[in-house]
Amino acid sequence: MSITTNVATFIRTRYHGLVSFLALFIVWSAVSHYELVSAEYLPSPPAVAKAFVKVIKSGQLGVSLGSSLVRIAEGFFIGTTLGFLFGVAMGVSATAERLFAPLFNALRQVPIIGWIPLIIVWCGINEPSKISFISIGAFFPILLSTFEGIRSVSKSYLEVAQVFEYNRIKLLRKIVVPGAVPNIVSGIRLSMGTSWLLVVWAEINTRSAYGIGDLLSSAGDGKKPDIAFVCIIVIGIVAFLINELFGHLEARLSTWRKSYR
Amino acid sequence: MERLGTLEVKNLSKKFRSRNDELTVLNDINLTVQPGEFISIIGSSGCGKTTFLRLVVGLEKGYEGEILLDGQRLNGPSLKRGVVFQDHRLLPWLSIEKNVGMGLKDAKSDESRKAIQEHLELVGLKGFEKHYPHQLSGGMSQRAAIARALVNRPGILLLDEPLGALDALTRMYMHQELERIWKQEKITMIMITHDVDEAIVLSDKIVVMSSRPGTIKKIIPVPLARPRDRASYDFVKIKEEVLEEFQLHTEHPFTYTI
Ligand SMILES: Nc1ncnc2c1ncn2[C@@H]1O[C@H](COP(=O)(O)OP(=O)(O)O)[C@@H](O)[C@H]1O
Ligand SMILES: [Mg+2]
Repeated sequence: MSITTNVATFIRTRYHGLVSFLALFIVWSAVSHYELVSAEYLPSPPAVAKAFVKVIKSGQLGVSLGSSLVRIAEGFFIGTTLGFLFGVAMGVSATAERLFAPLFNALRQVPIIGWIPLIIVWCGINEPSKISFISIGAFFPILLSTFEGIRSVSKSYLEVAQVFEYNRIKLLRKIVVPGAVPNIVSGIRLSMGTSWLLVVWAEINTRSAYGIGDLLSSAGDGKKPDIAFVCIIVIGIVAFLINELFGHLEARLSTWRKSYR
Repeated sequence: MERLGTLEVKNLSKKFRSRNDELTVLNDINLTVQPGEFISIIGSSGCGKTTFLRLVVGLEKGYEGEILLDGQRLNGPSLKRGVVFQDHRLLPWLSIEKNVGMGLKDAKSDESRKAIQEHLELVGLKGFEKHYPHQLSGGMSQRAAIARALVNRPGILLLDEPLGALDALTRMYMHQELERIWKQEKITMIMITHDVDEAIVLSDKIVVMSSRPGTIKKIIPVPLARPRDRASYDFVKIKEEVLEEFQLHTEHPFTYTI
């Protein structure tokens, strides 16, 4: 499929969503054009476009976005790996479930932001604290969905494995985990979305290094609403792309479940 | 022929216990199946046919009596006994060829690939290697399940109402296919059914079961030449003989709608 047909399908299917963006843009243009709000508070679309070009040319945007994405990758990797492993253990073994489920259910009740003070005490305000924070956020969605996915694997498939004399490892690799894949991917998607949210949040609140959140909060401090606009738009677009990407992945890996009678 | 085994079931009884209840599902079952025989088990729903099959497979534990294969007591499920479940139980996330290869030690070896191909051909699914179970019809799924059960060359194949969900025409076609596979593979087959015609077309012996508790009421031999003609006099006579077993229980006429 060519890019133009892709764009055409996109516009056709998401047409309604685009209308609201367009409406917002028109209101924004009108308000700044007739100077209903001073440019000090609301930069005009051309001003934002200029700021956009400026941060791209100076490399600020690239470096900020890059650092945020690296942070996410690290935190997401740690969080989802641990969440997956605990999810599998609890899904497979009733003992592991009895051991860990109460603890994780209790910890899950703590709003993620509630961890911040402790994390700062333990890890300071540098990289480790941000990565721990993202890891915690990524941990719970994948933990729960892996656990549920494994529990949803039908007992009748386990009997098939028994008839074929599968040992525990083969059972896990060939039946239990593949059967849980649709749940696992939707957990990954949730974890990824949460990670992106948290990296921005962490960068704003524990400012120290480069990051899209830092760029945003320094724009606020320096009274540069045009840069702030650029950041918000970029954050939105990245969140959208992440969601689309993992949505496609999920749809692809779950077709068998949807069409399964 | 050494992979074929004689199955002996002696005084087999099975009870299911719940908290304060005990249900005797099978009572004093005695049956000997010779190597290469085709046996059908026929009986009304709930009479314990699936339970019997699961005991022979080794999926159900805790019974009285003996189940012997060549004189040896069974010890759990084994690759030597293939099963086709009532619901085909193909793994929905695997292609047909991968499903068929499930029971092979190293499904990627040349030998395994060859075995998979041969068995897909045997059940008439050549060309459907890369398809997924949801893309197959009910009859094709059951055939894939049969290929999967046969690919390790088990001595005994146990089939639990394998054709129960199929329409009448596909069913008759599958009877020919099953008979062909049975002859070609020279394998012992034990099939559960509640279709009397199906049992007579395919079997050397028909085991008629009665329910609550499940017992063997009669074993009816089918000494007819193959392939069998459903309209022949001998066929109809045997059918009458089987049906008579069910009509005897006039005290519960509705339990025996076959
Ligand atoms: N795991 C089990 N626990 C308790 N009762 C069972 C179990 N499996 C089967 N039964 C009971 O045993 C009886 C026979 O079941 P089944 O062997 O499935 O019959 P059939 O295959 O002949 O229809 C039924 O009454 C059923 O409810
Ligand atoms: Mg049954």
